[in-house]
Amino acid sequence: MKFATEFLVPEGLDLGLMGEALGPRFALANDAKGELQQAFFDTFDGRLHERGQSLVHQGGRLALVNGSGYSEIASADCPRLRERVLVADLPAGALRAKLAPVVDVRALTLLARVRGRRRVYGVTDDQGKIVARLVVEEPELVSAGGNGAAALRPRLRVVGVRGYDRERDRVARLIGRRLGLTAAELTVQDEAVSRSGGTPGGCPARADVELRRGERAGPAGARLLRRQLEVIESNLPGAIADVDSEFLHDLRVGVRRTRSLLRELSAVFPPRRLEHFREEFRWLQQVTGPCRDLDVYLLDFEDFRASLAEQRAHNLDPLRGLLKRRRTLERRRLLRALRSERTTALLADWRLFLDQLERQNGRGPSAASSPISELAAARIGKVYRRMVRRGGAIDDTTPPEALHDLRKQGKELRYLLEFFAALYPEPVVSLAVRSLKSLQDTLGRFQDRQVQALLINSLGDEVRALDDGAAALMAMGQLIERLEEHEAVARAEFADRFAAFAAGPQRAMMRETFG
Amino acid sequence: MSRILATYNIKGGVGKTSAAANLAYLAARGGATTLLWDLDPQGASTYLFRIKPKVKGGGRKLVRGKTDIASRIKGSDYERLDLLPADFSYRHMDLALDQSKKPTRRLARVLAPLADEYDYIVLDCPPSISLVSESVFEAADALLVPLIPATLSARTFDQLQKVANGNTRVLAFFSMVDGRKRLHREVMEQLALDTEHVLRTAIPASSDVERMGSRRSVLDEFAPRSRAAKAYRSLWQEVRDRLGPLAQPAR
Repeated sequence: MKFATEFLVPEGLDLGLMGEALGPRFALANDAKGELQQAFFDTFDGRLHERGQSLVHQGGRLALVNGSGYSEIASADCPRLRERVLVADLPAGALRAKLAPVVDVRALTLLARVRGRRRVYGVTDDQGKIVARLVVEEPELVSAGGNGAAALRPRLRVVGVRGYDRERDRVARLIGRRLGLTAAELTVQDEAVSRSGGTPGGCPARADVELRRGERAGPAGARLLRRQLEVIESNLPGAIADVDSEFLHDLRVGVRRTRSLLRELSAVFPPRRLEHFREEFRWLQQVTGPCRDLDVYLLDFEDFRASLAEQRAHNLDPLRGLLKRRRTLERRRLLRALRSERTTALLADWRLFLDQLERQNGRGPSAASSPISELAAARIGKVYRRMVRRGGAIDDTTPPEALHDLRKQGKELRYLLEFFAALYPEPVVSLAVRSLKSLQDTLGRFQDRQVQALLINSLGDEVRALDDGAAALMAMGQLIERLEEHEAVARAEFADRFAAFAAGPQRAMMRETFG
Repeated sequence: MSRILATYNIKGGVGKTSAAANLAYLAARGGATTLLWDLDPQGASTYLFRIKPKVKGGGRKLVRGKTDIASRIKGSDYERLDLLPADFSYRHMDLALDQSKKPTRRLARVLAPLADEYDYIVLDCPPSISLVSESVFEAADALLVPLIPATLSARTFDQLQKVANGNTRVLAFFSMVDGRKRLHREVMEQLALDTEHVLRTAIPASSDVERMGSRRSVLDEFAPRSRAAKAYRSLWQEVRDRLGPLAQPAR
């Protein structure tokens, strides 16, 4: 049974009543008064929130807790914490180990601060052992400047003790039922975030738009595009401020998905006006590319180092320095572009255009009024068939460009499957996604390694001119060899991966679902 | 990595459980995440922390690695201090170890998954020489050996140093000391010459230590100013000084 462990309570909740509600099985024990002073952190896309977890800084410790029961998963001493922190900056230990795979390269940023009064009561069993705790809090939201505060609703939380889950559940049920308390729908973190104007759960870059099978293609397409505009706009400030590398990445994903939708649903939209937007989004994608490429090199750098013999690894440092300097230059260009009139106008005009599209509600080109499920199926079927055809023509002698083209088609198919997944049977979509992912992984490695090897090669002259240039050059030569080995492995994998993607039963399944 | 300490003596009633409970408590209060495993089927330290002496699945499954050890841990009433309770089935732990491969390495393997979670793991051992104690010697970084200053103590201590393996530090301390008894003073003087293995701090015989059972609590919680509580604090300090700083805090 699902039940609440966190409740809203009237101010000055009667202690006697709480004790009575718990009896005779449990009793209320000690009472610790304290100050509540918490700061909540998460990534911009809410990765911890999505897992039902919170990262709370309190009393000089940073703790990862389970949102529901506030039971601690791991914590570390962090006397002072900046408003933005990377996992790599946290002290080594269990907390960092738990956060690293989830948070990855994203920055953890301050979401909200609360302060207030807190009382903690122990709930004891027949042995006098504390088996749960009741935490009563009267929090206030601390505004960004630190002055002034807004009261949040007082709440009571039932907190478990390790190994006593059943007792915690029992206590929560007794408290909720016998005191007639209302369950708190939002955690204090979510309430604080939403009161300070944020979105609980952050801004994931997902393409999650709910579509109905019979929905007309015009409005459905407009909604999908609007969602991508949100992704672009919400990531723009973080990309400008360089909070972490993923803002720019997600912004580019938004642009790429937008361009993909414009291509795939071209029949739905008025062609003349689209020409301009196509051109502008292509530009935005281009001007954001070089900086992203350098981000990827720098993110991969540790892997580069690891692929060399240990005594050679540090010889690559001049290369890293060079890449960083290049990135600084490219970021200047990027900033000019992102802050330009051209970008501002593009996003504003695009928003107006989408408003109009939605108002037209399917009028306009005839395809706009046909059901989205038919149109999308036709596109998915077509792109899949094209991939099967082109991929089937690839053999060991085919130039690499053909594999790169196939990867582009694969991205297009991936987006289509993401946008329209809900319209088709789940097993078909997930099978298709799985085999496509595995193929794309191979194609991606093949292309990335090749491009990386070319770039490193092209930097040779510059590196030679540096101090320690000769040693760096030798290490780079070794690195290029490694990259070429990886590239060859990926190329060798291709045949098997493609065979699975284009296998007879899979083709039949795709034909049946998408035509 | 956890640091594993075991309170051990071949004889019973020498203050092993009092030491294990008070030292584990002091470790946690000092900021270290700490687990106390009550290996003694009598369950005295489990009782002190008001926890039921029961481990689902029993000791056999636990030592053979069939039970997820983390799921059997109970939180104590004190922050950062957890307990793995005693279970009556631990009286057959020898047998269970005997039937497993490399029995003396078993406990170390059972504890391995907890290495990242706890700074200290304190083992409260049953009094005996058996496969259990051998497995404890293999797992522990240090054996803390309470000695009652009587004539036989010196012999017990010698025997113990012979059985303990080379990587385990053996640190003895005097326990239940009655300063009025001449014999106690004489034995202590004699053994204290072995400064490498015998700690300076002595735990006095005290009614406060005896009251731990009726209060079901550790000394610092109900008699923090008592001589015995002070002695345990100083013992903990000495143990930490002897073993040096932890490699890396677990949490």
